[in-house]
Amino acid sequence: MIATVLAELLAAADDDGGSAWLLLLGPAGAGAVYFGMWRYYRNTHTSHAFERETRIEAQPVTGHDGKVKEITGTKRSRIDGDNRTDHRRRVRRFD
Amino acid sequence: MTSLPPPGDGDQPPLVDTPIVPTTDPTAAPIIDTRNERLDDGVNRCPRCGATEIQLRPSAGMLICLFCRHEWSEARLDETIVDGDLTALSGTVVGSGATDIDTDVDAVMTMKCAGCGADVVVNTAEQMGARCHWCRHVLTVNEQVPNGAVPDAVLPFKITHDDAMARIRQFAGKRRMFADRAFLREFSPENVVGVYMPYMVVDANASADVAGVGEVQTRRYTRGSGDNKETFYDADVYDLRRHVDFTVDDLTIESSAERAHMNAAINTNNVINTILPFDTENAVKWNASYLTGFTSEKRDQDIDHVRPELEDQLLSIARSQVASSVGRYDRGVRWERERIDVHGSRWISMYLPVWLYSYYHERGGKGMVHYIAVNGRTGEVMGSVPVSHPRLLAAAAVVGGVIELLMIAILVAS
Repeated sequence: MIATVLAELLAAADDDGGSAWLLLLGPAGAGAVYFGMWRYYRNTHTSHAFERETRIEAQPVTGHDGKVKEITGTKRSRIDGDNRTDHRRRVRRFD
Repeated sequence: MTSLPPPGDGDQPPLVDTPIVPTTDPTAAPIIDTRNERLDDGVNRCPRCGATEIQLRPSAGMLICLFCRHEWSEARLDETIVDGDLTALSGTVVGSGATDIDTDVDAVMTMKCAGCGADVVVNTAEQMGARCHWCRHVLTVNEQVPNGAVPDAVLPFKITHDDAMARIRQFAGKRRMFADRAFLREFSPENVVGVYMPYMVVDANASADVAGVGEVQTRRYTRGSGDNKETFYDADVYDLRRHVDFTVDDLTIESSAERAHMNAAINTNNVINTILPFDTENAVKWNASYLTGFTSEKRDQDIDHVRPELEDQLLSIARSQVASSVGRYDRGVRWERERIDVHGSRWISMYLPVWLYSYYHERGGKGMVHYIAVNGRTGEVMGSVPVSHPRLLAAAAVVGGVIELLMIAILVAS
C-alpha cells in the first residue's frame, strides 16, 4: 500500500519537473543520523593531530610551478584524486 | 627554485640540544647518558628521613615521603641538557634508555633487599617496584637494564584519580541515550587505572620534496537547455614541485607494538593516541617511585621498528607545510610523489601518564575492549562507548520517517 503510494508520488513528481529526489531525503536523513551518532559514540575517526600539535619550525617553502596543458570542456568540477588536505594519504616515493 | 610564502607562523618555543656521550663503537649511534646515577636498584630512601615509603603526589607533581611528608622532585630532563639548534642535528642520537632491547634480558627481575637480604621478584612488564614481603621495605628498579622497562624519562601524573573519574563520567554521561545497556549497567569509573605508557619522543631535522599536479579553473559554462542543461569547465594544468626544510621538536610515537596497532575495526587504540600531546618538556629523570600506585607498560619496540612511523609522520607534516603554497589551485592538487630525508634524529624513551577506563564488550561473538582515556597531564578525554544498535536504528528510522512524511506532504501540496 505505502509502496504503491510512494511509486505513484514518484511518477507524479517526475512528471512535475524532477522533484522526485525529495523522496530520497528520508532515507538519507536516517542514514546520516545513524552514522553521525555512531561516530560520536565510537570516535573511530579520531587521532592525534601531530601536524598541528607538534612544535615545528619550517623554512620558507621553495618550488616550481610549470603549466603543462589546458583542459577544455570537462564535466569534472575538481581535479581527479585531490589530496591537498589529505596529508596522511601516502603517495609513491621518488625513485 | 622560487621562494614561496612561509606556510607556518614561525612563532615557536625555543629548542634544546643534548650533550652526547661518544661511544667506543664508531658504527653505533651516539648515546645520551640519561641514567639517574643517584639511584640504584633496590631500596631508595627519602633524602630527609631515610624511609622507603615514597610515592607521587599528583596535585603537586612531587615525590612525597609518606613517613615525614618531605617533598622533592627529580631534575627535568631538559634542565640537564644544553640549548641548541635542531637544524644542526645530524645522524641518529639515542638516549641510553632508548637503546635496542636485548631479548635475552628477562622482564622478571630479582633484587636483593638491602633491609633484610631477602630476594624480591619484580615483573617489570607491569610494575617497577615491589614491597619486600619480610621487612616491608619498598624496592624499586632504577638502573637502565636493556629490556625496555626503564626509560630515559618519566612525565609524572598531574591529574588525580578523582579528577580522572569525573572527566570519564562526564564523557560517558554525554553518550547515554544510544549506549549499550550492559555498558551503562556496569559503568564504574572508579575502576579507572593510572598507566604509564611507553613512547619514543623524537626530535628531527628533515627535508621533504613533493611533486604533483594542480589545476586552475579558467572558465565555467553551461550547454543545452531545460532538463538537458550541463555544466562544463576549462582549466589550466600545472606541474608542481615543492621543497621544505623543517625541524620537529618532541614528536611522540607509541613504542608498544600493541598500542601502535590502530585498527578501528578490531580495537580502540586510536582513542589513546588522540589524547596526545603531552608537555614532554616537563619530563623528569627516571625514578621508579613516580610509578608507585600506578601500573606501567614496558616498551617492546626498538628505534628501527618505530623509524617507518617517524618517516610517515614527517611526510604528513611536510605535506601539511606545503599546503598553503598551493592555495591558488582552486580545482585542487593531486600529489603523486614524495620523499623525506631525515638528516638527524634524537630519540628519548619516555613513560607518559594515561588514566584508562576499559570495558570489554562482546557482540555477535566478537569481542572488543573499549577505552576511555584521560591525558594524565592536560585532562583531555577521548573514548569509545559501545552502541545499542536497536536504539540507534529506531532513532534513525523515526528521523527518516518524519523527513519522508514532510517531503510527501510537500509533493502532494505542489
